[in-house]
Amino acid sequence: MKALAEAAVDAALGAGASYADARAVSLRRQYVITKNGNVDDLSDTESDGIGVRVLVDGAWGFAGSGRLDDSAARDAALRAAEFARAAPGRHKTSLAPVEAHTGTYRTPLRRDPFSVPLTEKIDLCLRAEEGMRHDDVKVTVAMIRAQREHKVLVSSEGTNVEQEIYECGGGIDAYASSEGVSQVRSYPSQHSGVSGQGGWEYVEGLGLDREAPRVGEQASALLRAPACEPGRTTVVLSPEQAVMQVHESVGHPTELDRVYGTEAAYAGTSFLSPEDLGSLRYGSEHMNITADSTTTGGLGTFAFDDEGVPAAREPIVEAGVLRGFLSSRETAAQLGAGGGGSMRADGWARMPLVRMTNLHLEPGQGSFEDLLADVDEGLYLETNKSWSIDDKRLNFQFGTQVAWEIKNGQLGRMLRDATYTGVTPVFWGKLDAVAGPEEWALFGLTNCGKGQPGQEAHVSHGAAHARFRDVEVGVSA
Amino acid sequence: MSRMLDLAEEALRATGGDGDDAEVVVHAERSGVARFAASIVHQPTLIENAVVRVRVARDGRIGSAATNRVDAEGLAEVARRAGEAAGSARPDPDFPGFAPPAVYSDVGGYDEETAALGVADQARLAAAAIEAAGDIGLYGIYTSGVTEIAVASSTGLSAEQKTTDAVCLCLAADREASGWSERTGWRAADVDPAEPAGEAAETAERTRGGAELEPGAYRAVLEPVAVADLVRWFSYDSMGAQGYLEERSYFCGRIGEQPFDPKVSIADDALDEANLPKPFDFEGTPKQRVPMIEDGVIRGVVWDRMTAARAQNGQVSTGHALPDAWRFFGPVPTAFDMAGGVAGSSEELAELVGDGIFVTRLHYLSVVDPRGGVLTGMTRDGTFRIRDGKIAEPLVNLRFTVAMSDVFGEVPGLSRNRRLVNLSDLYDERYAHAALVPAIATAHFHISGTGSGPGL
Repeated sequence: MKALAEAAVDAALGAGASYADARAVSLRRQYVITKNGNVDDLSDTESDGIGVRVLVDGAWGFAGSGRLDDSAARDAALRAAEFARAAPGRHKTSLAPVEAHTGTYRTPLRRDPFSVPLTEKIDLCLRAEEGMRHDDVKVTVAMIRAQREHKVLVSSEGTNVEQEIYECGGGIDAYASSEGVSQVRSYPSQHSGVSGQGGWEYVEGLGLDREAPRVGEQASALLRAPACEPGRTTVVLSPEQAVMQVHESVGHPTELDRVYGTEAAYAGTSFLSPEDLGSLRYGSEHMNITADSTTTGGLGTFAFDDEGVPAAREPIVEAGVLRGFLSSRETAAQLGAGGGGSMRADGWARMPLVRMTNLHLEPGQGSFEDLLADVDEGLYLETNKSWSIDDKRLNFQFGTQVAWEIKNGQLGRMLRDATYTGVTPVFWGKLDAVAGPEEWALFGLTNCGKGQPGQEAHVSHGAAHARFRDVEVGVSA
Repeated sequence: MSRMLDLAEEALRATGGDGDDAEVVVHAERSGVARFAASIVHQPTLIENAVVRVRVARDGRIGSAATNRVDAEGLAEVARRAGEAAGSARPDPDFPGFAPPAVYSDVGGYDEETAALGVADQARLAAAAIEAAGDIGLYGIYTSGVTEIAVASSTGLSAEQKTTDAVCLCLAADREASGWSERTGWRAADVDPAEPAGEAAETAERTRGGAELEPGAYRAVLEPVAVADLVRWFSYDSMGAQGYLEERSYFCGRIGEQPFDPKVSIADDALDEANLPKPFDFEGTPKQRVPMIEDGVIRGVVWDRMTAARAQNGQVSTGHALPDAWRFFGPVPTAFDMAGGVAGSSEELAELVGDGIFVTRLHYLSVVDPRGGVLTGMTRDGTFRIRDGKIAEPLVNLRFTVAMSDVFGEVPGLSRNRRLVNLSDLYDERYAHAALVPAIATAHFHISGTGSGPGL
């Protein structure tokens, strides 16, 4: 793979590129999904190829080929250069400097997930499903996934790095329905469960079969729970819901390509502007957000991003003030600050984009019970169900699978169909407590969409329980 | 026989014997995307790839594997992994077997001129859009591509389809204004980039100074792009067999009932040359036109072979098996055909609304309550007030939270002309699909909040 990437870069330079990089990628993904006691999907996918990115007269070009051989690598380089040369516009691309690195990285793991027999994975899924059976639960689903991505990045500036990244994940869902009402309960998260970087030990640590009875019972109980009433109240978000809030209302708006408008037509832009750096009040003094591509077990953890920039831990929001953006070498040069480090591509057939790596809400202090103790009346919201936010990442509306009344510092009745809505900096300004490190947990998501053609990024977020005052809840049609 | 069908047959032979049944689907793509922002092409992407997916059935146990290594070694390995998966699975009592050989309609959908478009053409067509937008910045894509699907199975089924598509998506915008328009077709000659670019620029100019709007119940005109997005998101749980069988669909218990205005009729029709036509699905089953809503009456959902078998009532596949990457949805419609009405223009629809709002495009939809058919999302890139039957001042982006039974429950009118709206976000392998829909007037569009103003 290294020789092919080097050949592609040579070919690009020979075709007139002032800069070129090539990623040779070998990707394997495996899914085991069971539904209602049957094996619903047992699939094993591999995709090999090379993606070549070039700068010709300041214009980008990119071409990908699904063949890993010398002629395909060189041909991709020539086609990328041809596209760059044909691209209309007044191009003035410059890149923030980066030291040329060589090196390797491999996910630390105890047990290779692809060495685990399929029968063992199926058995775990079926056990978890069995545990979810309950009155009115009509559909049970269990999923386990594994991924290995081996990639080599070579650039015309001397970068030559090789990385092998393993991911594992899993999740369970129980769908209950009765008398025209349908409800779902999931663990550890909606959206295909959660994933982390690591080996089979990550899946074992999830305890899918251990949590299954609670999931089934709660799905059934939701059918008879009263609906969340509209109003304004204090909400406490579970760590799993807090990370969705971080993802949508902090992660995406701080992507510098969105700030500069290059995602405007599809994913949208950002309410932030470059001048906001260092001064914009994003939230309360309890809000501390960190981008950290060194986090152990994070889906956004690597030694080098897809431009060869080394992993780092950097503040994004400190005590409520915007301190950083997620950037590429190009957008960092535009900003005149930072050096990139967030460029990631979905496989070999896509151009790297500015993406989240691991973005965390840093812990505060105290326990979950301490957060509840200061709430006379409110809601505790668990597990995302629906999510929507405007193109500048200001107006958002989330729904959760379950809500619990908080009365005089104690959890009370279960409620269904809970939603809450707000405007990003106003909402974060109402953050008045984050629980401590002992409540902090890491969640990995595999469905973050962006770009045209579309790309799915795998990102992780950590958060503890977080409390927000005076929030609008119970939005309905 | 095409190279892709050859490849499918070769992979099928690699599955060997052992009494296994097998099915091979080859999904190949050759495409170019000229993505532009601020009137500069900044992310041009060329892709060439062919993916071979093998499903093996061994005594009712199913396993699948996929690869893009299409040499003999790669095909042998993918067949081995599919067989290993089948050997590890448990028998699925609902498995109906692979699809039998069939006769397919000649539906068109392939255009030599579109297939021949190269890098220079895609760049030239993007440039044409940029030029037509004038002084305002243009953001979006011009893309064209060729997609080949070949299916071969041990039942003797052998099928191939080759399709082309061209799409131009245009957002004209600056800091205070934004407008949207788009074109999609399977002939590039039907997609003149200057048209959507000019329309987007014209719309954008009218959005400056967007005003706030009190949340509440409004009448509305929804342009075709907005209608297509609503129908698509409604369909995920409600118009496919999986959501129906698993009781998440709004259609559950309502087949034969009339919850919608009699002017609302929605089918799925991939055989229509006015859409992006396709003769068969990813199991090789012939595509059928499926009426889902007729004259306001709920008629049914779309099916693939497994969901049809699970229904246990004689239901057959309607030809709606999807690419493997979409497995979580089950079968869903991908060629919407919504009947038009008699209104000659969106302005005529505004007259029917009288007092309300005009919506060009939606953003970031989500399903709040699948069984209730409740969706939320934002408007963007062309939201206006309607006053006295006229499209009036611009508005900021609005959050809506709507029950589709309300939106389609009272429809004062629909446009006679329909627009083919792109539905593909180009994730995974290319599979162009679209909705042929009119603009509509609705008496019920619930605005639940306000967002940012128009513009970047």
